[in-house]
Amino acid sequence: MNYSMVTRLIAKDWYLQRWMILASLAGGAASLGIVCTGGKAAFMLGLILLVMVLIFVGAQLPMAMMVHERKEQTLSFVMSLPISHREYTTAKILGTLLIFLIPWLVLVLGSLALFAVPNGVALGLLPYTVIMAIEILVGVCLTIAVALVTESQGWAVAAVMAGNVGFNIVGYYVAHLPGIAQGMWGSSLMWSPTASTVVLTEFAVIVLLLCFTFFFQSRKRDFL
Amino acid sequence: MHSDLIISQTDGRPMYLQIMEQIKLKVSVGDWATGQEIPSIRQLAMALRVSVITVKRAYLELEREGVIVTQHGKGSLVAPDASLAPRLHEDQLAEHLERAARLGELLGLTPEELASRLEQASGRSMEQLPKENQ
Amino acid sequence: MNDLSVEFRGVSKHYPHFNLDNIDLELPTGSIMGFIGANGAGKSTTIRILMGLVHQDKGTVNVLGHPMPADQTEAKLDIGFVSEDMRLYGAATLKWHMEFVSSIYPRWDQAYAEKLVRRFDLKPQQKIKGLSHGQRVKAALLLALARRPRLLVLDEPTTGLDPVARKEVLGELMAVLADEDRTILFSSHNTQDVEQISDQITFIDHGRIIDSDDKECFLDHWRRLRLVMPQNTELPHLPGVIDVGGSGRLPVLTTNCFDPAMLSVCQDLGATVQAVDNMTLEEIFVTSVQHRRETLAV
Repeated sequence: MNYSMVTRLIAKDWYLQRWMILASLAGGAASLGIVCTGGKAAFMLGLILLVMVLIFVGAQLPMAMMVHERKEQTLSFVMSLPISHREYTTAKILGTLLIFLIPWLVLVLGSLALFAVPNGVALGLLPYTVIMAIEILVGVCLTIAVALVTESQGWAVAAVMAGNVGFNIVGYYVAHLPGIAQGMWGSSLMWSPTASTVVLTEFAVIVLLLCFTFFFQSRKRDFL
Repeated sequence: MHSDLIISQTDGRPMYLQIMEQIKLKVSVGDWATGQEIPSIRQLAMALRVSVITVKRAYLELEREGVIVTQHGKGSLVAPDASLAPRLHEDQLAEHLERAARLGELLGLTPEELASRLEQASGRSMEQLPKENQ
Repeated sequence: MNDLSVEFRGVSKHYPHFNLDNIDLELPTGSIMGFIGANGAGKSTTIRILMGLVHQDKGTVNVLGHPMPADQTEAKLDIGFVSEDMRLYGAATLKWHMEFVSSIYPRWDQAYAEKLVRRFDLKPQQKIKGLSHGQRVKAALLLALARRPRLLVLDEPTTGLDPVARKEVLGELMAVLADEDRTILFSSHNTQDVEQISDQITFIDHGRIIDSDDKECFLDHWRRLRLVMPQNTELPHLPGVIDVGGSGRLPVLTTNCFDPAMLSVCQDLGATVQAVDNMTLEEIFVTSVQHRRETLAV
């Protein structure tokens, strides 16, 4: 694996997606700023803005990074560079995830901050919040995997929708799991083994998705 | 890149023959002096935008005819053969006569009619030549 | 150092509506091969297999000594590839592309790149999406040429270019060959360009190589014989003649293995040889393809 080539590919993609990166940074900063002005309305507004940024980036970025290479016919230019399919796949996955992590980390750190603040959100909600934050990441990994392997806009959109539906289903299901539901509305932190299991499962799914991506990419016999 | 030789796209003859003819002309009028170094095969190919293999063939034929000499690893030069000019013109004349004969056949001319046409043409050509060349 | 830059042995590739069948190809180092075929004949597929972008189903491919697609990363360091359907990034400038490519390839020649910018009449500050088709082709060629690659693989490099640009591009391609160790493979519809600058020529039709030889051999072996037959004589079958045209007493024979002895054979039969015409590469190609399709249809 030629790490310097992978870095150059990521740098290239970040240059080409610079406006989206700036937008997600600005959106994240703005939502934090709004929340910090205090009050419930500001909190809701900031949260909505952040979620919008997350949804936009989570859907648009895989499209721009992966589907467009085929649509804009730049794929043959990239693949004529001295890289292997594995390096291409790695660069795309890393490049996309790292950009997405910007608004995502804003969400996670912002939420944790809200828990830490006195008179902030009740600690009982912490396990559920963590689980759902990671669930967003799972959804994006699914979109990335599908976009990269299929290079098709139709399939990528389907993956985004599946991710959204999945998010809602998982949200409902987990909220009713005995290990979670019990402590959710309490004011003290109750980290149950159920919560650990769910979190571990989510990470396992992410790893599985990425492994499948590499597997399917390596099986491709026609890169064009 | 400007070239000493010019190749015509509309000339129906094979390119290597055109190249040969032009080189022979250059030699016969003295533009390329005997013993002078001439462009290497690749250099000429580049200048003319013609494939290396075509230039190579032209050079091989020219060497066979004794017009040029190729020294291995040192390029090519005009053969130091002084009696080149008349022989070159001999070759050209033979070629033209053959073509005229074929055309004469096509037109249905007898050899005598063809000969008289040649006389007429020769007469006209004598009138047109500047005095020094006669 | 291999003396063959490209070697295909028995390469086949199956698609639902198209098959590349048993392709053998040899491209000696230092030469330039023109690849001629109709649309959909398999030129682009063959070239993609050469670049490792498509995996062959059968057969071996060696490029600059590297087996493909296994060693493609190594091979691609020395290969410059431009294809007609390749696009650069529209939102970026030519200058960005030049910096990007030069950061990857150690042999990038900045002075030569700048010379090409002037010669191809391009503006580095311009965004790719603002360029015309011809300018985009020239930009892609510049990026490939300035790296001084050992092998240039070009799929339709002059298609869509105006005559001046075409001449410039052909000039630059020939300049590449000033170095004996550099090789070019290009596919083209423009048989005139191919005829002028190629050393080797390969014809492909319906996924099969139908002929491959050095150019002078092609031009030497193909002739059109115009005969005048004597009255009431039928034209007998002559060996080496693959097409008979014309009519009545003026048949036109096309042969792909011309020998001056054929003329005496014709004259012995009482025919007058009115003319022995050379054929252009285009005529040779079209006749080859038509002949092959007719023999297959039988």
